[in-house]
Amino acid sequence: MKFKKSWLLLLSFVLMLGILAACSGGNDAGTEPEGEGTETEQPAEGPQKGGTVVGAMDTPPSGQFNPIFYEEAYEANILSFIYEGLLSQDENLNFTPGLAKEWSFNEDNTELTFKLEENVKWHDGEPFTADDVVFTYKMLASPGYIEAGGIRSYFAANLVGYEEFSTGASQDFQGVVKVDDYTVKFVFAQPNVKALADASFTIIPEHIFADIPMADMPAAPESRDAGKIVGTGPFKFTEMVQGEQYVLEKNADYWKGEPYLDSVVWKVVDQAVILGLLETGEIDFVADPNGFQAADFETVDAMPNVEIIEQPDFGYQIMGMMVNHRAAGDKTLDPSKWTVNEKLKDQKVRQAIAYAVDRQAIIDGLLYGRGIVQNSPIATQFEAYDDKNPPQYAYSEDEAKKLLDEAGYKDVDGDGFREDPAGKEWVLNLNYPLGNQIRERSAPIIEEYLEAVGINIDLRQPKEAAAYFEDLDNNAQDWDLYLVGWSLDSTDPDPTGLWDAPAAYNYSRWNNAEADAILKEANTPPEAFDKEYRNGKLSEWQVKFGEDLPALILYAANSLWAHNTRLHGVDVLPYSFLNDTHLWYVTEEE
Amino acid sequence: MIQYLIRRILVFIPMLFALTVIVFALMQAAPGDPFSQKMDPNIDRAIYEKQREALGLNDPIHVQYWRWVTNAVKGDFGDSLIYKGRTVADLIAERFSNTINLGIMTLLITIIVSIPIGIYSARHPYTPLDYGATTFGFLGLATPNFFFGLLAIYVLSIQLGWLPSHGTVSKPGIEGFELFIDKIRHLVLPSLTLGLAGTASYMRYMRSEVLDVLGSDYIRTARAKGMTENTVLYKHTLRNALIPIITLLGFEVGILLGGAVITEGVFQFPGLGTLFITSIGNRDYPVIMAINLMLGFFVLLGNLLADIFYSIVDPRIRYD
Repeated sequence: MKFKKSWLLLLSFVLMLGILAACSGGNDAGTEPEGEGTETEQPAEGPQKGGTVVGAMDTPPSGQFNPIFYEEAYEANILSFIYEGLLSQDENLNFTPGLAKEWSFNEDNTELTFKLEENVKWHDGEPFTADDVVFTYKMLASPGYIEAGGIRSYFAANLVGYEEFSTGASQDFQGVVKVDDYTVKFVFAQPNVKALADASFTIIPEHIFADIPMADMPAAPESRDAGKIVGTGPFKFTEMVQGEQYVLEKNADYWKGEPYLDSVVWKVVDQAVILGLLETGEIDFVADPNGFQAADFETVDAMPNVEIIEQPDFGYQIMGMMVNHRAAGDKTLDPSKWTVNEKLKDQKVRQAIAYAVDRQAIIDGLLYGRGIVQNSPIATQFEAYDDKNPPQYAYSEDEAKKLLDEAGYKDVDGDGFREDPAGKEWVLNLNYPLGNQIRERSAPIIEEYLEAVGINIDLRQPKEAAAYFEDLDNNAQDWDLYLVGWSLDSTDPDPTGLWDAPAAYNYSRWNNAEADAILKEANTPPEAFDKEYRNGKLSEWQVKFGEDLPALILYAANSLWAHNTRLHGVDVLPYSFLNDTHLWYVTEEE
Repeated sequence: MIQYLIRRILVFIPMLFALTVIVFALMQAAPGDPFSQKMDPNIDRAIYEKQREALGLNDPIHVQYWRWVTNAVKGDFGDSLIYKGRTVADLIAERFSNTINLGIMTLLITIIVSIPIGIYSARHPYTPLDYGATTFGFLGLATPNFFFGLLAIYVLSIQLGWLPSHGTVSKPGIEGFELFIDKIRHLVLPSLTLGLAGTASYMRYMRSEVLDVLGSDYIRTARAKGMTENTVLYKHTLRNALIPIITLLGFEVGILLGGAVITEGVFQFPGLGTLFITSIGNRDYPVIMAINLMLGFFVLLGNLLADIFYSIVDPRIRYD
């Protein structure tokens, strides 16, 4: 009996090892080339008709498919097949024709007139006209739009008469005017540098939504149900299993030409499973918003049937440095009420912090090198991004120490940490939120780098996002350093919304009159219409930002997208994988 | 019995009421609201302030609570703050059927596997099969759900292609028997994953309970009377051994209905668990409240059912 017992234990242990070995063995086998994959690089002939492509996203869309009400990137994935705007953007982020074929400004740049494509039909066969454009912008400006849950009013806010119309003081909206069926005029209250960006909003059909009261619009079937949603795009939204699958079928009457594919299916698959299915071919592509993880790059790269697309993302992670603090309870954005943060008020200290953090090492270690060091808070894809003139802050412990010494921050009591110039204890509080694993892991690394140059860091317990951002907004009086990530708009490089002194998201409460003045000039017509002038001003501003340093830009992770090699015609844009999807086609290798 | 049932159900009301008060208070005490993490540099924060006002989030807590209660009593659980344009009832209904299916399937697997093996192990202790079951039990308890789930997906779905790896159906538009089979196929991996720990632990409980009962005096008496082994086992032992198991299963019902966040996540199975967690993260108050209320109700109901089953398996237990 005794013998039998131990024998059995041993047996079960061996069995368990066997199972584990089988798993890892299977893994190896999986990454081996399967022969047929490599020969599909070049299709034998041109585009072929037919076929279905399956895309994956790792989070279910919340289910709001009305362009004026949706908020998330997951809905955007689906909507970009269905709806279109007057304008699109090319690989250099210049505006290109969409539903509008040409446009012109009047002399003082207050009026923008579009000529629309004339043979465009909605999915239900109704013609697309200037009325739809007028209707869409009227909806964005309507009273009750914000209360109903809409957040895109900024597209209409620069149009003439927006205030009066949106508050109900006027019944008549003259911001967007129909000239004739295929000509529409945008009238701005002031000459508007971002006029084209403002006019690029997705157009919704008037004949579908005209009779639905604003308050009921988000819940209307026309905003939510597959089969009821009507756009002008290359695919129609025909069926769905809420939270799981979204089926788009080709719009044979698409105005740019019938799509090659019969259908596109979006499936919701857990991040951990996506790569396995990509390899088996059950899904064909994974792209925005999360793509795949940098840690999996080698695995995906080794898949013979999968092609990777890697490009910079529109966004970055920063470590903000609070140069000023809002008074407790002060919800206004009035810089004159702020108090200076004594602990970080010296520019040299902030520069020392920048030198002390080895950002490339963070990218190499946490992002497996799939990211870039960025020295200005404008997305690198814009021509306005200046990578030469702003200070580069290449990692240098010595430089950091030198600057701190110069600023008078020295270790006087011999505890290994520097004291402030008055000889008092100097501790910087570093706060960070949960929700982004790489950012979470970067916090203690940053702490180490800063402590290596003698800065005493109090690394606070991370907080759940909802709590963290509320505190960042209202209760950050004792914060010094904070981590946050920004996703940037692809339509315009203007950083005013993040870094102008009274901007709500200027959490560093950076108040630099010179920088603000330059920023203002960069956006003031008529000079600002000259792209070179504007980029020059933005460059000046980037230098100011870099010198004064209200935040250290830690890294900009690359977008990592992947698609099966049987999918052809993929022509990505800097901001999206989904471009000219009517030209996508598949070749079957079976 | 009927009177007892009515009494028990009436007790539900104050308990659920207390539950909603506590949950509402806790939720309001938690920092942040549905808008605090929405950050888009293009969007003026005044817009969110307007929306807060429109949703009544700026009202005093007791006003908000009263509004919620009065509507809830009328069966109106409000609109989700995050899933724009969707009512809470609609959101929960959509997820609830999935969760129920998963729960039933899991419970079936748990009971069908664990009870017979438990009984066998107890009747034939210290045999190879008993050791096998014990080993399986410990492995099952020690394996984290997400690991087993991913392993199952990797082997059974990706490598062998036998079973689907995600979702509840393969495509929209299928009906009838085909849909039924398709749904079952989609349930197999998640319910195996979810049922693994339960199966393992019930097996252990069952084994020790049966062993316990088999050693008791009345079993010896029964055997002494010359009863057959089967009568001893199924008539005397099993009934007594099942009582604690039923208590546990009563709780299990509530837990299974609460959804299984991790398992649902791995299989992207749209159940209540993931809805609950995302709602908490987003501070989607109406959804949190409704799910809480529902879970509270089902935990109470599960316990009530357990009490009723006691009286069936043990005639000495009577409710008057």
